[in-house]
Amino acid sequence: MAVCIAVIAKENYPLYIRSVPTQNELKFHYTVHTSLDVVEEKISAVGKSLGDQRELYLGLLYPTEDYKMFRKLHNSFTDVMCNPFHNPGDPIQSKAFDGIVSGMMVQTG
Amino acid sequence: MSVPDYMQCAEDHQTVLVVVQPVGIVPEDQFFKIYKRIAGVSQVSIRDSQRLLYIRYRHHYLPENNEWGDFQTHRKVVGLIAITTCASSKEWPQTAERFHGQKEVYSSTLYDSRLLVFGLQGDIAEQQRTDVAFYPSYEDCSDVEKRVEDFVESIFIVLESKRLDRATDKSGDKIPLLCVPFEKKDFVGLDTDSRHYKKRCQGRMRKHVGDLCLQAGMLQDALVHYHMAVELLRGVNDFLWLGAALEGLCSASVIFHYPGGTAGKTVGRKPSISQPADAGKRHRPGALTANGISADTSTEIGRAKNCLSPEDIIEKYKEAISYYGKYKNAGVIELEACVKAVRVLAIQKRAREASEFLQNAVYINLGQLSEEEKIQRYSILSELYELIGFHRKSAFFKRVAAMQCVAPTIPEPGWRACYKLLLETLPGYSLSLDPKDFNKGTHRGWAAVQMRLLHELVYASRRMGNPGLSVRHLSFLLQTMLDFLSDQEKKEVTQSLENYTSKCPGGMEVITLPDGLKLPPVPFTKLPIVRSVKLLNLPVSLRPHKVKGLLGQNMSTASPFIYSPIIMHNRGEERCKKIDFQWVQGDVCEVQLMVYNPMPYELRVENMGLLTSGVEFESLPAALSLPAESGLYPVTLVGVPRTAGNITVNGYHTSVFGVTSDCLLEGLPGLKTSGCLVEVIPSLPRLQLSTSLPRSAHTPQPMTKEELSSTVSVQLFNGETQQLTITLENIGSEDIETLELTSKIVSTKEKVFGEFLSWELEEALSHLPLKPGQSVTLTVGIKVKLDFSGQENLLQDLNDDGISVTGLPISSPLRQVLKPRAETKTVSESGKAEYSHVKTLEAVLNFKYSGGAGKVEGYYRDLSLGVHVDVEPSVFFTRVSTLPATSTRQCHLLLDIFNPTEHELTVSAKNNQDLVLHASECQRMAIQVDKFDFESLPQPDQETARFTNPKQLEEERQHAQGCQINSKLGICWTHPSLRRRGEASVEGVLNQLVLEHLQLAPLQWDVLVNGKPCDCDVIADCKVGDAVSLEVKLTNLSKNSVGPLALTVVPYQDFQNGVQNYDLEDAVTFIGSNTFYIDTVKPKESSVCVGALLFLYTGDFYLNIKFQDDSAGRELPLAWFTLPSVHIRAMDTPLQAGA
Repeated sequence: MAVCIAVIAKENYPLYIRSVPTQNELKFHYTVHTSLDVVEEKISAVGKSLGDQRELYLGLLYPTEDYKMFRKLHNSFTDVMCNPFHNPGDPIQSKAFDGIVSGMMVQTG
Repeated sequence: MSVPDYMQCAEDHQTVLVVVQPVGIVPEDQFFKIYKRIAGVSQVSIRDSQRLLYIRYRHHYLPENNEWGDFQTHRKVVGLIAITTCASSKEWPQTAERFHGQKEVYSSTLYDSRLLVFGLQGDIAEQQRTDVAFYPSYEDCSDVEKRVEDFVESIFIVLESKRLDRATDKSGDKIPLLCVPFEKKDFVGLDTDSRHYKKRCQGRMRKHVGDLCLQAGMLQDALVHYHMAVELLRGVNDFLWLGAALEGLCSASVIFHYPGGTAGKTVGRKPSISQPADAGKRHRPGALTANGISADTSTEIGRAKNCLSPEDIIEKYKEAISYYGKYKNAGVIELEACVKAVRVLAIQKRAREASEFLQNAVYINLGQLSEEEKIQRYSILSELYELIGFHRKSAFFKRVAAMQCVAPTIPEPGWRACYKLLLETLPGYSLSLDPKDFNKGTHRGWAAVQMRLLHELVYASRRMGNPGLSVRHLSFLLQTMLDFLSDQEKKEVTQSLENYTSKCPGGMEVITLPDGLKLPPVPFTKLPIVRSVKLLNLPVSLRPHKVKGLLGQNMSTASPFIYSPIIMHNRGEERCKKIDFQWVQGDVCEVQLMVYNPMPYELRVENMGLLTSGVEFESLPAALSLPAESGLYPVTLVGVPRTAGNITVNGYHTSVFGVTSDCLLEGLPGLKTSGCLVEVIPSLPRLQLSTSLPRSAHTPQPMTKEELSSTVSVQLFNGETQQLTITLENIGSEDIETLELTSKIVSTKEKVFGEFLSWELEEALSHLPLKPGQSVTLTVGIKVKLDFSGQENLLQDLNDDGISVTGLPISSPLRQVLKPRAETKTVSESGKAEYSHVKTLEAVLNFKYSGGAGKVEGYYRDLSLGVHVDVEPSVFFTRVSTLPATSTRQCHLLLDIFNPTEHELTVSAKNNQDLVLHASECQRMAIQVDKFDFESLPQPDQETARFTNPKQLEEERQHAQGCQINSKLGICWTHPSLRRRGEASVEGVLNQLVLEHLQLAPLQWDVLVNGKPCDCDVIADCKVGDAVSLEVKLTNLSKNSVGPLALTVVPYQDFQNGVQNYDLEDAVTFIGSNTFYIDTVKPKESSVCVGALLFLYTGDFYLNIKFQDDSAGRELPLAWFTLPSVHIRAMDTPLQAGA
């Protein structure tokens, strides 16, 4: 079950962050923030071993049953990035993206 | 055992534990001084064996932990060094007693002990004792290290003997079962003879021997023993000890692989004696030591095989920890193992696996922990995360530790510690406390968590009792996180900021924390946001101007070329920085800021002023109040430069919410500025103008309002004059030394005749230099003379008598357009309004003045006064025509004069009677004038004639002619009722035809009868029968020669009834020819031809002197050839005589 979905920019700041129990958002902020350590570690490891090969999917931080989740989210993210009016690096403010995210939360959560 | 040692690392397994403790009263600082010296002896090379013994010193060790000494021998206290102060020998027994008491605590495990006595002198100190050393004072104890080394050696001997003892007694004897404290009760009543039990004993003993070997510096032996122990214990499922054996194996391997240690900074190992190559060899000489004890045979087994690979180490750690995990009471052991593994992984740079170990460590339950222990635990977790590069996790746990410091359950919350820990978390949240880092572009980061942290910092610093610090943090929060604060939060933050600043105002000083951290000042560049900074020029009237002629002085860069693109380019760059206007010393100058209030409520900014450099500057701060979400709002900051030079506006200072900020422009994002460097020139005087005429709001069109200091306005009738008195007062602080006055008529469609403004400056100049406060007056004459010709429509209206208007060209387009109006030609009210409309005339009077230091530098100031005149029509000349007078030298000028005003008007001309015109009345006035000799007007010299365009030249000529005519005519008008009078000019009304008529022909014909000039109505008398001499004289005043010409004199009689009798052959006879021939007459010459007539009868005769058609050479205008008609009255002689 997804309780929190966040999209992080490569400069380490959230482009998008949303969680289902809205009353304790700060907790999720902390969780996501601290988990970035692992992401950073993974990215640096990829850079070292694989060189040019670019595997964008880092794998799961924690095993999840629903592996379509990433694909779905990533597709929607790609759509957002394709929006000519979106300025890469700005926080994501897209209704479609919002919809996908809430769909994932409702569906699973 | 409940207290974990978080500082443990794998190589601690090879150390022996020595406790150093004070006995009796020992000053703390002295104790630690000695402790430090003792701790310096951390490794001792054992004589004759080349082995190294590592010592771990503790000044505090729980006896409870000591009980685990059998499980892992490095937990066992094997040495005790007691430090005591003993002033006199009397105290000695008591001290010795205490020392023994101390020994008792660790007696079960202690190998050896020492007592260091300080301060005791005398007999007792003289005696040589191995276990006690006497020193006169804490300063005088040079051989402490030597003593400790001896002590360590003695420990080694015991250790070595124990090792050998345990290692060899494997056969036969019953091996005791080693156990940990909590196991003891489990083994009660167990069958000690079973194979299982024996194996267990063997395994545990092997493991123990392995520990001893490791401590004794025999790494390979230790590995072998551990391996054997693992096998034995695995067989009997003795998991706790299996775990210990595996951990031992790991520790030994780690020591082998990483001789530099895994603890990082804490260990002062000497790398030179612990090379990996040596590590293997080390034991071998040891095996063949002098004491003849042969090493274990297993040493021959390849050490590479025994030693675990780096990957295996982790695997075995994992296994060991999982075994420990089975026992609730071994939590501390498990936790420590985790910590040790993490340290190893950190060295291997396998951060993610390390994090798994740490994750495990987080969940190990150690039962009830005190708050202090919790803090310690979180701190150590944070440190370990930091070690593996997980900065965010590290920050998270540090923050948790900080919060633990002030948990509500703690009676005395440690806000200081909390604050210190919170500060340490800043890098983990990528937060620096320097606002400069946030100036670059938009803020990007984890605003939610960062804000939380900042709030906590504020709160902690407040509780610490340092309001200055809270103000700084709160300012920082407000400045950097403004975009992320909701309106409600903004309100809250600012409210609490105001609360704090009421006690401790915030400033721009750097706050230095006790630990050396510097908190840079936080200028509120976003409260308000400044979008643009523009240095304003002085008001036009105060702007300094450079005297052109003096430019040469500073044209040092002038090149011989008039134009060079390179120089221009350089100048351009220079200009970029420097604004090309000047400020004047001592005069208020302004800088305009466009500011914006991002707050959802009104923002009060106090004490806002400029920060400048380069010139002494007196800033005059302003206070402003910006409405909520104001949008761009202009704010003008003012100041007075007190010295001359180049001034740079660096920024501005504000005071918002009780926090003063110095905001530098260079740090402001998205700021528009056109340059901040301006030259301040030395002071100049200031002039103030006041006039006798009322001021007006009119501004001459091409000028802007600010260009003129003031404008005066006056209403005049066309042709009227008015005096304008201007008072100039020096309101500055410098003397006015020079004054110049110029005027300029602002482009107007109206044609102005005569001089509009005239003045005499000499009188005013004689008062110079004008001291401050003094004033001088100046009179300027205003004279308006516009076109007096009637307008088209007026003419239309009046043109009802069918006489063609000679005043205007027939083909004027206006005329055609207006034709239809002729139908409604009654001089209606509306029509009247149209032609009586008011024209305006505007001019600018320019005062240039200078003085003081600015004049020396070549600057002056300009003060402009606008003059606005509404010109009402006075009279109109609706029509002009000429009638020839009787004399060819004269003619009649007929003027149709119209009075457009609503008052009675009197018009007078020279030698003419006054003409009274009622309102809207038109009357004709005839003025007899002498014809004009326009040739006598000064001609423009050749030079100027060549360069001005012909049309202009023509205009000028006409103007000159008009002037001449005008001055001759001298037409004046008077409004008796209004008591106003003025002149009227026909200049604009005259057209070419009229001018021609008025012009004296260049060919002057003089006809003399009997030697008397005969012209006009002069009647020449003659006697019948007498010859009358007729003389015709041609004077050529034209530029070309004229002629030859033939003239015929035709006499005739006018019967005054329209009949002219030319048949006079009987009455008049010519003596000689009746035809005159005039040869070519050169310019400026004259020719005379003489003939004679004889009148035979009395009567009035006329002589018509005509040109013969062929001779006139028709290229010259006809008017030139008009000769006066001659009237001769022939009379009888007797009659004449009789009369």
